[in-house]
Amino acid sequence: MSLRILKPTAEFADLLPKEYQELVENGPYHEQKGISDLGTFKEIIEEHPHCAGCGVALGVRLVAASLPAPADTLIIGTPGCSFFGLAQTALNYSNTAFGNQNAVASGLKRMLKIRYPDRNKDVVVLVGDGGIADIGLDMTLHSWLRRENITTIMVDNEVYGNTGGQESGMTKEGQVLNMAPEGKKFPKIPVFELARTSGCAYGARVTVASPRKIGEAVKKAILVAREVGPTYVQIYTPCPTNLKFPPDQTVKVAKDAEAGYYSFEEFISPEAQEYMQKTTKAV
Amino acid sequence: MYVAARVDEEKCNGCKLCILTCPDPNVISIDKAKNIGINQARCKGCGLCVVACPKEALTVS
Repeated sequence: MSLRILKPTAEFADLLPKEYQELVENGPYHEQKGISDLGTFKEIIEEHPHCAGCGVALGVRLVAASLPAPADTLIIGTPGCSFFGLAQTALNYSNTAFGNQNAVASGLKRMLKIRYPDRNKDVVVLVGDGGIADIGLDMTLHSWLRRENITTIMVDNEVYGNTGGQESGMTKEGQVLNMAPEGKKFPKIPVFELARTSGCAYGARVTVASPRKIGEAVKKAILVAREVGPTYVQIYTPCPTNLKFPPDQTVKVAKDAEAGYYSFEEFISPEAQEYMQKTTKAV
Repeated sequence: MYVAARVDEEKCNGCKLCILTCPDPNVISIDKAKNIGINQARCKGCGLCVVACPKEALTVS
């Protein structure tokens, strides 16, 4: 969505909803805004129906705030908890059939490259663990193996949240859920390691307990995906409703996970490293 | 029952940790004088900001 489209004609400006007017006056489109500016501008996500204390909502909000060029970004989603928040954003957004997100994103990226040859259009896949690790694993892996220039961001809540708590491939081994009363019987799918071996140029694993790291990782991932190759960011976003902890403990649970099995990790290919050095020098 | 976060302006030092832990967009805002404002109509009362606040300036009631 470019500013030209966003700005209403002066005669009709008063008729628009208050939220829209605020977005035009005080949205993040005008200048570079980041995670550290949160609270001083109108965020592009509107009110959403997520549960109180939802980690996914926090993850989606932090990712939306750290996009380097929101006006030129296209977000691809898939059914799941993540899409409740995304459907309310003032961004170009496309929903897909469950699991098809990376195939759709590959096509859209190629089309945008032909349509806008002299502009950077970022295609960002922002979906949950079910979309990437279970149902869409083949599409995701193949888009990485084809070296498509897209960014894939997983908000990993370790459960199928909005259908009542079934185990997903990313659930911890032994985790008891509403619809997995005996506990999960096999370990987490190592998607982060798969990303490294299937040709991602940059990858990061973070949790919602460290927002500044999310900001840096998302920004780096999108910049690398413009020129070098596919990138992957995995964000741990615990679910208080299905993992059964009080909603005010979401960040504490994420922090404990960060100290244990969900430690911060990052990899970057030599070409991507070279590209990042060039771009940071230019800025 | 209606539950929302409230801020004690005397204790608050404007560190912005609450803004970074709130899952809902456009609920907590900060102005240039570092005053925290909470949109109580939109707050879901999860209490994440209360736990994050090092000065104990926030309450959910």
